[in-house]
Amino acid sequence: MARSKPSSSKKQPKRGVDFKKIKRKIGRKLPPPKNATNTEIKSKAIILPEQSVASERAGLAVSKKGLTLKELLQQTSHHNAKVRRDALTGIRDLVLKYPAELTLHKLAIIEKLRERISDEDKVVRETLYQLLKLVIFPALKKDVPGSLISLMMAYIFNGMTHLATDIRLMAFKFFDLVVQHYPSSFFMYAEKVLQNYEDILRKNHIYLQDRSKLKNALVGLVRCLSLLPCNRRTVDPSYGKNTETQGSLHAYELEVPKEHTDFSSIIKRLEDILPILVNCFQDFIPLVHPMSSLDAQSFDCMLYLLRSIDLSVKFFLYGIDKHQTDFGVTKPTYNEKDMPVWGEIATPVFLRKFLEVFPLNQLHNTSGKDEDKFFILNIEITEIFLHSNEWIFTSAILMERFLEFIENLLSGKIRFNSRSGKALQEKHLTSLLPFIPRLVSLVANTWKSRLLQAFTMAFKDCKPESTLNLAFLSAIEEMLLPSKRQGILLLDASEPEILDHQITWIRELPVLLVRLGDTLSSLSKVILHLLLRLGQYAPMNSSLAWEYDIMQHTLGEFYSMCLDDGSILYGPFMKLPKDCQELSVCCLYYFSSLDSLLLRSLVYCCLCDNLEPSVLFRIIDVLHSAYKIGHLQLVDLISFFVTLVARWKVLPGRLYTHVENAKKISNRETFKAITGAVCSCLRQMGDDALIFQIVQRVILDEIPLNPPIDNLCGMLRLLVILDSRPTKLSEQSIIILSNSISEYLIDAASYIPENGDEVTDSNQISICQYYLVPCFFLFDRSDKLLNLVLDLMGSSIGEDNSSLACNHDTQHTLDLSSRIVAVVSILLYMHQDIKIRRRLSSCKGEITRILQKMRLQLMQSSNEMGNTLEERHKIQFSFDRLKIAAGQLNCWDADELKIISLFE
Amino acid sequence: MEVVIASSPVDAGIGCWDLHSGAEQLRYRSCTSTPHGLACVGQRFLASSQLRDSSSSSGSILYWSWSKPQVEVKSFPAEPIHPLVSNSDGMYIIGGGSSGAIYFWEVASGRLLKRWHAHYRAVTCLFLSDDESLLVSGAEDGCIRVWSLFMVFDDIGMEMAKNPYEYSFSEHTLRVTDMVSGYGGCNAIIVSASEDRTCKVWSLSRGKLLRSIDFPSIIEAVALDPGEHVFYAGARDGKIYIASINAETTSSNSYGKHIIGTLSDNSKGVTCLAFSKDGILLVSGSEDGTIRVWDAKTHNIVRIYRLAKGPVNNVLVVRRPLYSNRQTSENSHSSFSRRHAPLLPPPLGKYVNSTDENVDSGAVSVPQTPSSDIMDAPYLSYHVLTKQISELQQQSSAATGMEVDRLNLDCKRSVEIVQKWKEMFAYLHKFCVDELLGNDQTQTQ
Repeated sequence: MARSKPSSSKKQPKRGVDFKKIKRKIGRKLPPPKNATNTEIKSKAIILPEQSVASERAGLAVSKKGLTLKELLQQTSHHNAKVRRDALTGIRDLVLKYPAELTLHKLAIIEKLRERISDEDKVVRETLYQLLKLVIFPALKKDVPGSLISLMMAYIFNGMTHLATDIRLMAFKFFDLVVQHYPSSFFMYAEKVLQNYEDILRKNHIYLQDRSKLKNALVGLVRCLSLLPCNRRTVDPSYGKNTETQGSLHAYELEVPKEHTDFSSIIKRLEDILPILVNCFQDFIPLVHPMSSLDAQSFDCMLYLLRSIDLSVKFFLYGIDKHQTDFGVTKPTYNEKDMPVWGEIATPVFLRKFLEVFPLNQLHNTSGKDEDKFFILNIEITEIFLHSNEWIFTSAILMERFLEFIENLLSGKIRFNSRSGKALQEKHLTSLLPFIPRLVSLVANTWKSRLLQAFTMAFKDCKPESTLNLAFLSAIEEMLLPSKRQGILLLDASEPEILDHQITWIRELPVLLVRLGDTLSSLSKVILHLLLRLGQYAPMNSSLAWEYDIMQHTLGEFYSMCLDDGSILYGPFMKLPKDCQELSVCCLYYFSSLDSLLLRSLVYCCLCDNLEPSVLFRIIDVLHSAYKIGHLQLVDLISFFVTLVARWKVLPGRLYTHVENAKKISNRETFKAITGAVCSCLRQMGDDALIFQIVQRVILDEIPLNPPIDNLCGMLRLLVILDSRPTKLSEQSIIILSNSISEYLIDAASYIPENGDEVTDSNQISICQYYLVPCFFLFDRSDKLLNLVLDLMGSSIGEDNSSLACNHDTQHTLDLSSRIVAVVSILLYMHQDIKIRRRLSSCKGEITRILQKMRLQLMQSSNEMGNTLEERHKIQFSFDRLKIAAGQLNCWDADELKIISLFE
Repeated sequence: MEVVIASSPVDAGIGCWDLHSGAEQLRYRSCTSTPHGLACVGQRFLASSQLRDSSSSSGSILYWSWSKPQVEVKSFPAEPIHPLVSNSDGMYIIGGGSSGAIYFWEVASGRLLKRWHAHYRAVTCLFLSDDESLLVSGAEDGCIRVWSLFMVFDDIGMEMAKNPYEYSFSEHTLRVTDMVSGYGGCNAIIVSASEDRTCKVWSLSRGKLLRSIDFPSIIEAVALDPGEHVFYAGARDGKIYIASINAETTSSNSYGKHIIGTLSDNSKGVTCLAFSKDGILLVSGSEDGTIRVWDAKTHNIVRIYRLAKGPVNNVLVVRRPLYSNRQTSENSHSSFSRRHAPLLPPPLGKYVNSTDENVDSGAVSVPQTPSSDIMDAPYLSYHVLTKQISELQQQSSAATGMEVDRLNLDCKRSVEIVQKWKEMFAYLHKFCVDELLGNDQTQTQ
């Protein structure tokens, strides 16, 4: 339309002059006509999220770039390296976002990804490595069928034999990754893998330049070899194993066949690989010696090489050991003809050559850091030496060198210079310590003493919180006790020097235990276990057993100590967990004669509120058992028991009144249980009469100290249980007892229910019986005691009466009145008991006297101003009740009754 | 006749009761037995190791025959013997000494066949597995060791092997009080109780701890249910706890894990347990001197016997031969030699004999029919046989000639007797046939 306009304007002049001609200058732009249409077209790029129009991808899992898994997997085999890499990162995003995709398509993913293991591009390989390491393997940890691994392995092996060294080394890295996540896969492919390692190491000179790569490969080798079985010298003994998992013992067990691996092929490969490792290591030595400094890469390489050698040597040893132990029982894992080849003849030749290089670089004065490195290498070599020691005949000179090194290491003459040196040294010492016992038992006498000297020094210097202690302890256990597996003593304790060292160790143990406190309960447990084993296994009447007995003097501090000012310092025993407490209590059983000092410190622990009752019962049990086999004096045990009963703190507070005092209730119940346990122990001891005499003596010493009512009750129970009828108590003890029993009864009277006829709390009645029954037994057995007690009760009323005259304390009168009430209620309670009633009837004189006293009291109190009416009423009331009861006793003759009524 | 026999550390003799009728039998006098120190040797006689003063260096083992209350044979081993066991046919007696040594005697000759150092502390209990190939010993130091009897006598093998025992279990921290084994010989489980308040279940085949059960009190005795579903643990607090072996455990329980119930009648501590052969009646001995018979199914007391004032420390349920009336009948026509044969074997030897005799160790046991008189069990030592053979060989030709004559006479007499019997048989046969035929004839007529 716009274009038609100018054309129409051209036509018009030809037709006529009706219209004025408008001249336009060329080059000048016309203003747009008013009715012009805006023809501008604005456009924006439309970005489609996907390129394929055909697929419908709503609801599908897509990566950030909108690609599905399928597309990404296709792209991994793209010819462009960049695309491949992007695809791999895309997979990573996708899998992270939708973990379900991975589990669904794991097979497809692995199948595609494995092709990239031998990718030419370094970056792609690296990305794949990261992808597998960070995402895929952790996510698939649980369910990996063997097929997946085998899928991978085909390509990994392919990579291992690739021409490009980079790819080759990377393949080892991939294999390392697989083994890391699925250790069992090593055994499936061990032979082939080791073959490949052998190849690569044989050509090590090619890789000497690129040491970091070689290092990576070696890391993998170390990991693989560490999977091989070897004799693990575990520090942790077999105790503490959890056996509670099984529900029923006879149930059918689903037996999973153990991963059977044929080691013979591995052995052959290792035989080949070991010399190569040694050669490889020796290749490094010329590099090292002339140079003043050792770069980190080659140091690592050397270290890993040494580790590999160490591990393979260990594996061989395991084979020999296993062959010996399996002798005739099961089919040996190795063929007979294999045995000599790798056992004794073939390997040691080059190993001996290899060990000759020790010690590395002592000549050069290098910087501190390098020295550390050489030190570490030396330690590694020493470890190999110690492992192989058992089957290589070494020359004396070399042996000397090693032994000197070990001695220096133990005595701390060689030290690390760097800051982290301390920790490192400890770590390496831990790895060497397990060899000491065996070494000591084998070497010549001069070295034996030197090594033991160094060992003992190092053990003494070791800080209690150090991790080394564990290693020291297990070494000591091995040298002290007959070993668990072989049942023979490693060291001959008859040699005085060895015995000296052993004694030093034993003496150090309780000290260490006390110094540890409760900081490291696991270590304490190991020490206690060692002590227990020592007690169990020390041959009878040997010097070791003697030393064990002596140890109890220092062990007292472990339980508790009585300071000079009388306060008690509790030892670590109180704070340790329960299993440690049990162990330490078990140790007591094995002292051939328990010291009374140790018993005293034990008693302090027992009396402490914080001790758990179950441990307390264990102590009672163990002491009783120790007595039974004659490890404890009868007198000591009885005084222990009586002290326990007399001094145990029962928390005050009435048992029956409050529900909220649950804790107090349990405390009293505990005391009852203790009394019960002690009683049953006393009854099992044998001759009751003899034991009664001892118990009586000890209790009479305890009673004047005015123990609380509960403890007195406990002691009375002990007496009652051992006593017979008629009583065996001596005159003197009856007098002493009567004093305290009268007071005790008045105290206990407060537990008697107010009114016998009413139905009261059954709990209260049982408490009341608990307190009174032992007294009743005593009364039943001894009339004299009853007489004396009644006498004293009577006089106690009288006494207060006399003192009342000069002292107008209201508190006191209240005391007096309640005392009278108490006496009466006791008497009434006794009256209810048929047996005691019979006894009471024989001591009417005393009762009459009490009645008289009360009468007097009543008369007096009527004159007193201080006495309230209520109290008087109370006294009057109880007086009447007693009178009735006395009448019921039916033994008063008319005269006496008259006398009483006269008072009225 | 199944009888309960029980002994005590105080001198109350060995009580003997019929398990089913409850009637008390003879009481065998003067016995102060050690724990686990009572054994019935091959159902022939009773043996018990005795408590001794700590001062006396030698121990003592006494024998009683079933028929007499007095001690018949006394032997004095080199050291006090605590536990005593015998194998089922009564060939051997095995005892555990206070020094930790185990003694192995041949009953017939009384010889000490073997003595070996088994433990570091006194042996507290011993038993043989049900196939009698393994000996299990427990000691005061909490150690349990399993010995193969085959290995014990194999001196060369012992030297070769790293350790003389099959297994050594050292998980118990205190004295082992009792042990019991299940069925299955070397595949059985064993249950051990210790003063550390635990019972542990071990597997003999795998040589490892299967389960450890904590109890509220020290367990003095254990007995295994014949079905091996549960075991019974007699505790010092007077209860008999029932612990499950085969049931799934319930977590909430008033006693502890794996403990499913108790048998209790508020008595003093339980010291020993035994099961009757039928597996229903459980016999427990108590600290208070009584012996209770429980019905393990209903948990009720069936019967109570009273042994002594002091504690009971051994209870056994054994089958006692009904010999007494038969012996009288046999005595009337028993041969001359039999009457003079000693009823009980000689006392046990003190020391292992010299080496030359060791060469021909081993006894010859003549298998006996169950109906034969058990008191005169026809087993003879190898020595006796060799002696007889050598005697025969050394005898002069005249003696042999006489012997032959005598034998010939015997033979002739026997032939005559056979002839007589044959005649008798023919006559009887004829008689019977005639009778039968005669009957038929009368019937047909």
